[in-house]
Amino acid sequence: MNPEGDASPAAGDIALECRGVGHGFGAKTVLFDVNLKLRRGQFLSMVGPSGCGKSTLLRAIVGTHPPRAGELRLFSTETGDQGKVIDGPGRDRGIVYQQYSLFPFLTARQNVAIGPMLDQTSLAFRCLRRLRWRRLRRDQWRAAGDMLEKVKLGDAMDLYPHEMSGGMRQRVALAQAMIMKPEIILLDEPFGALDEATREDLQHMLLNLYEENQKAVRQGLRPPYTLIIVTHELNEAIYVGDRLVGLSQLWDWRKEGHAEAPGATVVYDKPTPVFDSKAARNFERFTAQREEIRRVVFEPDPPCDRHQHVVYWRECRTRPNAPQTDPDPHPLA
Amino acid sequence: MIRRPIKSSTAAFLGALSVLLMLGGYTFLAHRQYQRNPDDTTIPRWSQLHKGLQSAIEVNRRSGDRWLVIDAVASGQRLFLGLAGGVAASLLLGLAMGCFAPIEGFLHPPLSLLAKVPPTAALAVFFVLVGTGNNMYVAMIAFGVLPTMTLTVNLAVKEFPDELLYKAYTLGASHMEVVWTIIFRQVLPRFIDAVRLSIGPAMVYLIAAEMVVGDVGFGYRIRLQSKLLNMSVVYPYLAILAAFGFGMDSLLRLLQRKLCPWYEPRR
Repeated sequence: MNPEGDASPAAGDIALECRGVGHGFGAKTVLFDVNLKLRRGQFLSMVGPSGCGKSTLLRAIVGTHPPRAGELRLFSTETGDQGKVIDGPGRDRGIVYQQYSLFPFLTARQNVAIGPMLDQTSLAFRCLRRLRWRRLRRDQWRAAGDMLEKVKLGDAMDLYPHEMSGGMRQRVALAQAMIMKPEIILLDEPFGALDEATREDLQHMLLNLYEENQKAVRQGLRPPYTLIIVTHELNEAIYVGDRLVGLSQLWDWRKEGHAEAPGATVVYDKPTPVFDSKAARNFERFTAQREEIRRVVFEPDPPCDRHQHVVYWRECRTRPNAPQTDPDPHPLA
Repeated sequence: MIRRPIKSSTAAFLGALSVLLMLGGYTFLAHRQYQRNPDDTTIPRWSQLHKGLQSAIEVNRRSGDRWLVIDAVASGQRLFLGLAGGVAASLLLGLAMGCFAPIEGFLHPPLSLLAKVPPTAALAVFFVLVGTGNNMYVAMIAFGVLPTMTLTVNLAVKEFPDELLYKAYTLGASHMEVVWTIIFRQVLPRFIDAVRLSIGPAMVYLIAAEMVVGDVGFGYRIRLQSKLLNMSVVYPYLAILAAFGFGMDSLLRLLQRKLCPWYEPRR
């Protein structure tokens, strides 16, 4: 049961909810009682020790690996306040992987346009209604081109993935996910294989997307991007997200009466400062939080109570401009 | 240096040199044989080869046929029909096996067994099942290439990364679209490679079968002329077979480059 339940925001504000999610492989339990409510427009960073089930949780959200226990609910304008239980992959969730992020047989533009193609037309339509399909494809290619311009790849539209650098590939993968306008975009260690400069460049791109969210909210519109990023890099996690969740198997499970380790769960959930993409990066600002995360999530000695640092909603409620009404609880740096 | 690439002009020069050496070696052997025995037909000189080829092209006085034409039509028809059947069936079966585990579970054991049976050894079985005539050759070639090609396609499909599969579903693809629009396009170059590799064995099966039971075709003619030691006919036939195989292979490589321009640099 979510100890923060009473501090939850209004239902319409929620994009995704994990209710008591548990998962495992064979006899091994990986995830235990994961409870999480993700606000629309939120950029949530997820960190945790190796093997704690971060990617497993993402796969459960994608729908390819349904949880063994609990449920995942996705909320959209169509599903209303009840949301829909995730029971398989669907076009309302986008995913960007570290590897195999693009279809190798398609150019950058084709990779971005394939989503609208698969979503808006069927195989039969494309085979039998050639003329209408060609007209529609022209529009889709234009939209894909615009999306590539947005991620600053306007001059790489006709390149195949093997002709692009790692950073370019990840930009295309992000454009591929964004063009579908999914309810939530999941990034599974997307910048893990990139060099520092490219990584920084892409982090700025995510901050730009976050600023688009803020702008949309200021105009009374729905924030366009809700995002979960799994990363093993703490600085990155704090820098690009406005909330940080730590998953860990190293918590005080004996205190709850378990005879053996029941798996990883949420042991850390707090807001993080929001950065301006144009301002210089200053990691000194979050040294204290980084150390706290290290102490609670990675090297707890002794293991902590799992609810002790799960205080995101409580902190938001006690702050002025709480997220229930204002999705940006932290002023820009 | 190991695996150090060479310029394309150097590669072309080396290729041409090896062919010239081969032709030069043959010319030398033929000349030496002629000096030993001017009536010898086992290693004919170029002029004898020319006469042999002419006799195959011209209308034969006894049969009233042009050997080369009727043999090429018969063997070509058998080969193309057999390959087409085997290729189409193996693509469908390989895709189905790679995508759906129950189909793989059902088909993998028999295909693995059949892949080890030389189709020429089972010629009598095809004779019993589909009768004589073209059907027998077509069935033998189709079933000869099918098991290996199906297993190759199956392996290529299984190597398709799960991540791309999941991604396709998040982009709104149906199961059918995942198979045809995503997986098929990714395995297409590997499939074309498999077809290229199967041309050689298919020709071996056909020539061997025609040598045993044929009354027309390249295999039949080569066997007949070999018995008569008419190597001036046999060698041109072998050269035509080699040129045909090389041409087919080049065409498929061209097709692969055209359909899968993204694949070339990965080799």
